[in-house]
Amino acid sequence: MGIDTIRLEKLRGKPLDGQAVKRLIESALLWLKTNQQTVNALNVFPVPDGDTGTNMMLTMTSAWNEIKDSGEKHAGKMIAMVAKGALMGARGNSGVILSQLWRGFARATQDSAVIDADAFVRGLSEARDTAYKGVVRPVEGTILTVAKDTASAAQAALAETQDPIEILARSVPAADASVNRTPELLPILKQAGVVDSGGKGLFFIFEGMLRYLYGEPLDTPLATVRPLSSLNLEEAMHEVEEGQDYEVVVDFFPGQHFELQKFYDRLEQMGTSIQVGEGEGMYRMHIHVPIEKRYEPIDYIMGIGTITKVAMENLIAQMDSVEGQGRDNKIELKKVEPNQIAVVTVSPGAGLSRIFASLGVASIVNGGQTMNPSTQEILAAFENLPTDRIIILPNNKNIILAANQARDVTVKKVAVVPSRTVPQGLAAMLAHNPDGELDSVSEKMTRALAEVKTGEITVATRSVEMDGVNVKEGEVIALLDGRLVASAGSIEKGVMSFLEKAKAADHELITLYYGEDFGQSDANRIVDLVRASYPSQEIELQDGGQPHYQFIISVE
Amino acid sequence: MKLGIVTDSTCDLPVYYLEQYQIEVVPSILILEGKEIADGIAISRDEFYKRLPDFKIHPTTAAPSIGEFANRYQKLLDAGCDHVISIHAAGSLTSIVSAAQQAAREFLNRVIVVDGLSLSLGLGFQVLAAAESTESGLEAALAAVESTRRRLRVFAALDTMEYVRRSGRVPAAITLLGSLLNIKPIIELADGEVKTMSAVRTTKQANARMMSLMRQVGSLERLAILHTSAEARAREFLDQLMKEMNRSLPRDILMVNVTTVIGAHVGPNGLGFAAVTR
Repeated sequence: MGIDTIRLEKLRGKPLDGQAVKRLIESALLWLKTNQQTVNALNVFPVPDGDTGTNMMLTMTSAWNEIKDSGEKHAGKMIAMVAKGALMGARGNSGVILSQLWRGFARATQDSAVIDADAFVRGLSEARDTAYKGVVRPVEGTILTVAKDTASAAQAALAETQDPIEILARSVPAADASVNRTPELLPILKQAGVVDSGGKGLFFIFEGMLRYLYGEPLDTPLATVRPLSSLNLEEAMHEVEEGQDYEVVVDFFPGQHFELQKFYDRLEQMGTSIQVGEGEGMYRMHIHVPIEKRYEPIDYIMGIGTITKVAMENLIAQMDSVEGQGRDNKIELKKVEPNQIAVVTVSPGAGLSRIFASLGVASIVNGGQTMNPSTQEILAAFENLPTDRIIILPNNKNIILAANQARDVTVKKVAVVPSRTVPQGLAAMLAHNPDGELDSVSEKMTRALAEVKTGEITVATRSVEMDGVNVKEGEVIALLDGRLVASAGSIEKGVMSFLEKAKAADHELITLYYGEDFGQSDANRIVDLVRASYPSQEIELQDGGQPHYQFIISVE
Repeated sequence: MKLGIVTDSTCDLPVYYLEQYQIEVVPSILILEGKEIADGIAISRDEFYKRLPDFKIHPTTAAPSIGEFANRYQKLLDAGCDHVISIHAAGSLTSIVSAAQQAAREFLNRVIVVDGLSLSLGLGFQVLAAAESTESGLEAALAAVESTRRRLRVFAALDTMEYVRRSGRVPAAITLLGSLLNIKPIIELADGEVKTMSAVRTTKQANARMMSLMRQVGSLERLAILHTSAEARAREFLDQLMKEMNRSLPRDILMVNVTTVIGAHVGPNGLGFAAVTR
């Protein structure tokens, strides 16, 4: 790193009070935002949801929003606000664990007006303890391990220095080393050839703070280029900033004098949402530009290399069509009485929301593109219902922690029925009794989760070998109860492979919920194929409307 | 002191009981494709259920006329009965008992009409209890009916919501359930009210639920396995019951293909049971 030593000396002289903490949080957030896609790309599972980088960034953003207008000078009080904001904005498993880390840190430093070396080390230790306690089955090789190793390094540094900045400076490389060790601790990371995404996100948070102290820039990622397969261009579609009208993607072979840093700098002058990937010598550049600059990237790249392909997309038209789809039929939710149990469910699609509503759900949280509602969003779904007995159906393993957090934060009596898929959530709804006792009803619903097998058919977002299945990016994959069981060349073959693996022939009822990317006539065609292969089974087709997953299937 | 017993055809009591105790049964009316048919007479039950999905106009049911009841009461009183007990299907679900009550007015206190608050053998077992106590007099017979009803548990697993919805006899709350997905409801009939206990998606799950309900009701004095044209399913259920819970079951277990009057509202392939606990 290029350390601005003069600046560093100046900062060393000043105490780490509330306002200093505020600047550090801001820096952590900025650096995390900048490296968000890098973290997302580490998602091991080749499915398009549960983006860790985005989740942690949104969690930190919520923390930042809590303090951004505050003039608080007491460090402990500032950190308490950070923890509160993180708690509310926590989404996804990593986001929730991150909020638990902040909670622990806040608790240890609540009486510290300034953060000295002791307070910092105490904070990290308590953060680690709180996070580990908050997870029922802690897994090593994740963000927890990185938190643990960072706390250890800080503790060790305390023996040699009383300067909190120096302690941070030693903790950051320790965190980095811990992240790089995670594949040794978690076989699935090794198999996929990546480090743990949550751990990497935590590393960026610490690194961001240090970069601020050293005076290093926080808005450009370090000029490395990513593997082509990890470009997440679809995600970029959902973060269109104001003033950006066109998405331009250019594939090219760079010329002799190509310099990566200069390339990034030039692109920064044109637009935003820049991503550059490389595969086998070919580079792919992605950028959002305003209408008057729409040809600039193309002209520029033509001067420095050989272009093989250009794609341009009108972003505003795209956004309008996506929004238009949202204006669908109004959904009739069950009106719950004060003594009844209300069920809150997370739904990924309009069709599925309608089905949940028809089964008596009182409130729906829209899962959005990546099934990542925050603790706050889940709370908001039930705080205003006229009853204080609530059951939450998360319908996704990435939402269970946030649901638990919502339960812990509210005064209402909440039970979380840990549904990991939509079909499980539907099965649980069938076992629901609004007039029963909260504990026995939630127990009954939880038992019902095991009565259905879930299938998910989608397109792989990365190439990976997992559970004996070899997957190439872009292939169709089938998941059975969350496990990758087959890859196929087409949706039909994916569906049929799944049904075979799920032993559908031994069951009675197959229900297929088709997603928003799939047309009804295509869905009907596939259902006909299923009927032909499974003549003794009942086959049902329903419009699910979910993004990313062409089919969600239940076998019971 | 002789006591006469009158009921209606929804009670589903087997003929040998009716003959043994000389119980008068007023047939309910099935309206099939515009024609009024007395229950159990012009169409056999099996044939009815076979044709049920295909009827162009969904069959409906109607109560017997007041005159029909009055005739039976008169007949019994003329035969030497001091009193007549007239026990009928739940008034909340059919108008049979209301017709009986109107007929009874003619006979001052000699005809006592009882709302059985149940259907099929839920009603039938109450009638049987009264019939078994006629020797002990009016009070005892009425007490036996009351006691039976208090210990009555009636459950059914319907194959589909379709018929219940079409019949319009069940509160909207229950039929709303599963209006998008195909749902098989498990219902309980208690005190004249139909309540949805739970809902399942497959027959196997429904059978499992019914079995667990059986385990919950405990030791039984009387039991009838009910079905709507699903004898194989009922037999399998009974076989499993006897394997598992033989000790808590009564010696005589009835198996009944339920009256078309109920079947029209419930649909074929249903499985249920009516039990009187000890």
